[in-house]
Amino acid sequence: MNWADLNLMPALPEIFLLAALSFILVLDLFIPDEKRDVTYGLSLLTLAACAALQLATFEPFATTTFSGMFVDDPMADIIKVAMYGVTAAVLVYTRQYVADRGMFRGEYYTLSLFALLGMNVMVSSSHFLTLYIGLELLSLALYALIALRRDSAAGTEAAMKYFVLGALASGMLLYGMSMVYGATGSLAISEIAAAIASGHSNAVLLVFGLVFLVAGLAFKLGAVPFHMWVPDVYQGSPTAVTLMLGAAPKLAAFVFIIRILVQGMGELSGDWQGMLVLIAALSMMIGNVAAIAQTNIKRMLAYSTISHMGFLLLGLLAANEQGYASAMFYAMVYVLTTLAGFGVLLALSHAGFECEKLEDLKGLNQRNSWYAFLMLLVMFSMAGIPPLAGFYAKFAVIKSVVDLGAVNMGFGMVSALYLAVFAVMMSLVGAFYYLRVVKNMYFDDKQSDAPIVVRGEMKVLLSVNALALLVLGVLPQGLIELCIEAMRQSLAVL
Amino acid sequence: MSFPLIVFYVLSAILLFSAFKVVTAKNPVHAALWLVLAFFTSSGHWLLLQAEFLAIALVLVYVGAVMVLFLFVVMMLDINIEKMRAGFWQHFPLAATVGLIMVAEMVLILASPQAHLAGYEAAAPLAADASNVKVLGLQIYTTYLMPFELAAVLLLLAIVAAIALTQRERKDGKYVDPAMQVEVKAADRLSIVKMAAVRDEPVINETNEPQA
Amino acid sequence: MLTLTHFLVLAAVLFSISVMGIFLNRKNVIVLLMAIELMLLAVNFNFIAFSHYLSDTAGQIFVFFILTVAAAESAIGLAILVVLFRNQSTINIEDLDSLKG
Repeated sequence: MNWADLNLMPALPEIFLLAALSFILVLDLFIPDEKRDVTYGLSLLTLAACAALQLATFEPFATTTFSGMFVDDPMADIIKVAMYGVTAAVLVYTRQYVADRGMFRGEYYTLSLFALLGMNVMVSSSHFLTLYIGLELLSLALYALIALRRDSAAGTEAAMKYFVLGALASGMLLYGMSMVYGATGSLAISEIAAAIASGHSNAVLLVFGLVFLVAGLAFKLGAVPFHMWVPDVYQGSPTAVTLMLGAAPKLAAFVFIIRILVQGMGELSGDWQGMLVLIAALSMMIGNVAAIAQTNIKRMLAYSTISHMGFLLLGLLAANEQGYASAMFYAMVYVLTTLAGFGVLLALSHAGFECEKLEDLKGLNQRNSWYAFLMLLVMFSMAGIPPLAGFYAKFAVIKSVVDLGAVNMGFGMVSALYLAVFAVMMSLVGAFYYLRVVKNMYFDDKQSDAPIVVRGEMKVLLSVNALALLVLGVLPQGLIELCIEAMRQSLAVL
Repeated sequence: MSFPLIVFYVLSAILLFSAFKVVTAKNPVHAALWLVLAFFTSSGHWLLLQAEFLAIALVLVYVGAVMVLFLFVVMMLDINIEKMRAGFWQHFPLAATVGLIMVAEMVLILASPQAHLAGYEAAAPLAADASNVKVLGLQIYTTYLMPFELAAVLLLLAIVAAIALTQRERKDGKYVDPAMQVEVKAADRLSIVKMAAVRDEPVINETNEPQA
Repeated sequence: MLTLTHFLVLAAVLFSISVMGIFLNRKNVIVLLMAIELMLLAVNFNFIAFSHYLSDTAGQIFVFFILTVAAAESAIGLAILVVLFRNQSTINIEDLDSLKG
């Protein structure tokens, strides 16, 4: 490699993010506790600047740099801009929450930025090594964030569980990667794809590795049967961190799966399709059914996440451009919805009180009809009720499955219609517990009179966020076309 | 049987035995020491595979640093071993069965003729003066520049996280700054306040007056 | 003759022992962390063996990074363990039951 050939422009946002993060890390040491808002402001500024750089260096085609290990394609650009926005929203929503709970420290912000950097690397990797390091950057930052509230027994316990299962998942993923390396003789995604296409790869090792890869990915995504950590971690983490790990990382995980399964091992779609069908169906079923029994709203949302990951996989298992685009749309809508949902929970929590029981939402309409309305939008969107964005997202993934005609289950072809009908049934089961929340808010008497105090910027952003669900539900065409175009441009190369 | 094969089998026996002891040892300190043996033996295997740099790095990084960290933590925490071991051997048959099934499946796949592993031929032995470090170094600092930088970021993250999690500011700490001690002036320690001479009227407590 | 199969089978057995260890030591977090280190060791064996038999250095470089990441990972894992112990005075997972559903 010649240094003169090293084009750093595609990685400019990441380089800036790292520089700004290091600057904040050092500067924060000199800031007294009462002026911690400087760190908060600088973090938001960094995110805005990253988004601006990302848009300024946007190219409608894929460019690679760092010896082909870093790829900057339209899919990565869109997802990254979305991640900057989501992370900024998370920081705004959690500002008061962390201050009330002794977590308003510089590390909260620097670790969040580290996590974002990890996600960026995951999204832009075209090599197993960078994918792995990006994943670990994200995971290590999240482990630390969950345990950051050191006096909370539940928080550290959740961190330990997440750590052990996350490390186990990394181990499986790595085992799979090692087998794929052995089978194809390469670690670069494009070379792996080329080796598989040319038939110069060891088929047995490849499929053997694929099983481990899919298991590791399902673990990280929190899909059944590797979902047992999700409810515990969602419930045990401070709500601010639950939001952090439930929002942007799902976008990164989506691209991570696209890079490995689609771009790297797309030729083997017949093999992974069957595994994904099983994982998706089980996730939708267990997630939705178990969520009904929950009384803790964070736990309920955790099971709902599991079911949503099932729907996301539905789009992926279609193994065509339309399916991937619908899954991308699903991931974005899901993240937007989660953000608003946890945003309302954070708004209702205050010093010494965690809004995490279903009863805590009772009579919210009497206390504050605006937040009740926002939560209503979130719940309707999650349940997939038109005209909200969640409806269109579910519709798109189910349509991509129906269009498939038949899916390869490993043992034979099965009509895709069964899978689609199953998905619709499961979303009806899910509607039950989402609507129960709405019933709690509108038809029950209020349990407390505590005033809902929310910072100005959060009030505005939360409203915009929840209303965006309505707007996207009515006018989804723009975003879905963007997703289709991004997929077309990104999958054509490599 | 060639000499490398004999070495391989001896090392493998030690490695698998010590790995087994790691997961079944009674005392976490013993487990950590068995793990040290496992790593040490593995580095022997890696030498057989001509990965000299990694073999040495494994000993330096793992045996020298990571395992010492483990031992520190084990000894720092007051662990109740008896309680933790309760019911251990009840789970053992199930775990051993699962483990054996996994081994059987993986070995059947990897050792089956369909796996075509015979197609992978060992590289010709490198020349005596071939430098493994040089080969790796050239790659790491050029082709693998980005992961290398990211690994540095990852270590920074680990530092930040570990400090953020475990550093405690002691509230009862009696820390003194020597510079301030040196610079102290007499006036900082003792201030003389001028007060008007006031004489309080003696209060005579009627009830509690000691009777002379 | 020392073949690739020898090393892959050794790694597979090591991997299974570590999975067994994770099952067995669900109560004891510190041994759990050691079992995870064993699992990574098994993966490293795979990479180095393939690297040798493919005459390709990429596998060795991957292992170099896995070692780095694993060191950082165990540092954070042990930090969490210490915080956990301070909070609950136990690392026995069965005593950890504040999260239930």
